[in-house]
Amino acid sequence: MFDTSRVGESFPPFKIQVERGKIRELAIAVGDDNPIYQSVEAAQAAGYNDIPLFPTAPTIFQFWGNTQMLKNLLDLGLNVMGILHGEEEFEYLAPIQNGDTLTGTTKLRDGKSRKGPNGSSMDILNLETSYSNQHGQVVLIARETIIVRG
Amino acid sequence: MTTNTQIPVKLYFEDVEVDTELPPLTKSPITHLQLVRYAGASGDFNPLHTDPKIGEAIGTGGIIAHGMLIMGFLGQLLSDYVGPTALRKFDVRFKNMTRLDDVITCTGKITSKTEVDGETLISGKIQAADQNGDVKASGTFTALAPHRKEN
Repeated sequence: MFDTSRVGESFPPFKIQVERGKIRELAIAVGDDNPIYQSVEAAQAAGYNDIPLFPTAPTIFQFWGNTQMLKNLLDLGLNVMGILHGEEEFEYLAPIQNGDTLTGTTKLRDGKSRKGPNGSSMDILNLETSYSNQHGQVVLIARETIIVRG
Repeated sequence: MTTNTQIPVKLYFEDVEVDTELPPLTKSPITHLQLVRYAGASGDFNPLHTDPKIGEAIGTGGIIAHGMLIMGFLGQLLSDYVGPTALRKFDVRFKNMTRLDDVITCTGKITSKTEVDGETLISGKIQAADQNGDVKASGTFTALAPHRKEN
């Protein structure tokens, strides 16, 4: 069970710098051996300014950028060991480049808590993080649904 | 070519039709090492992805892969097809847990071609399934696909 009265609240903003080394590391971990993610020279040869953003690189912004997220979820009363990832969505609004400094603000958009048998519960939360760059331009929106068994 | 080109074009609007299939992508079997590496890369250190004892304790029966790793496989499919900077929207719904040694194949199909505010966009559906056809994640994408200019 979590505190549903907090639906609509935003968590404190966080900052993350976009680093090509982290993008490269993510591509390697996924097993994508496209050279555009491995060297600036290969990326430029393919027409990019720099190593481009791997499609799921926003996950780096979330976990490495928002080091308080786990605490934020604990504060809501969630059983963080029971978190399952239900859905993820990225909306790419403007280019994001190596060296950009992004500010992310995560909002608890919606949430439900259901009681199950034997005192168990299931919480479903919709989180939305809006990222703006150093020029104040919104460049990315990440939405996720998490399911928490308590 | 100018150096400030942000969007190298991999795919033109004219290259696809509704129902055109994306070239499938089959990944190597999931290994424990890959999950450890992915944890470090992504920053998601939830131990249920890396510590077999936790997996057993919470009833998932051993470690399970990060859902976002599977989305990453689908990201590779789209990166290969349209290129990373052409993507406008990419979403997935996670359906089932992925375990060690699972072999994930990503597939997709074009579902629409539209023109919005002078931009030509293609949309499609995608999915990731294991060696038994069990779907782990499915979703959709929208990407910019400019007109092929006639010379």
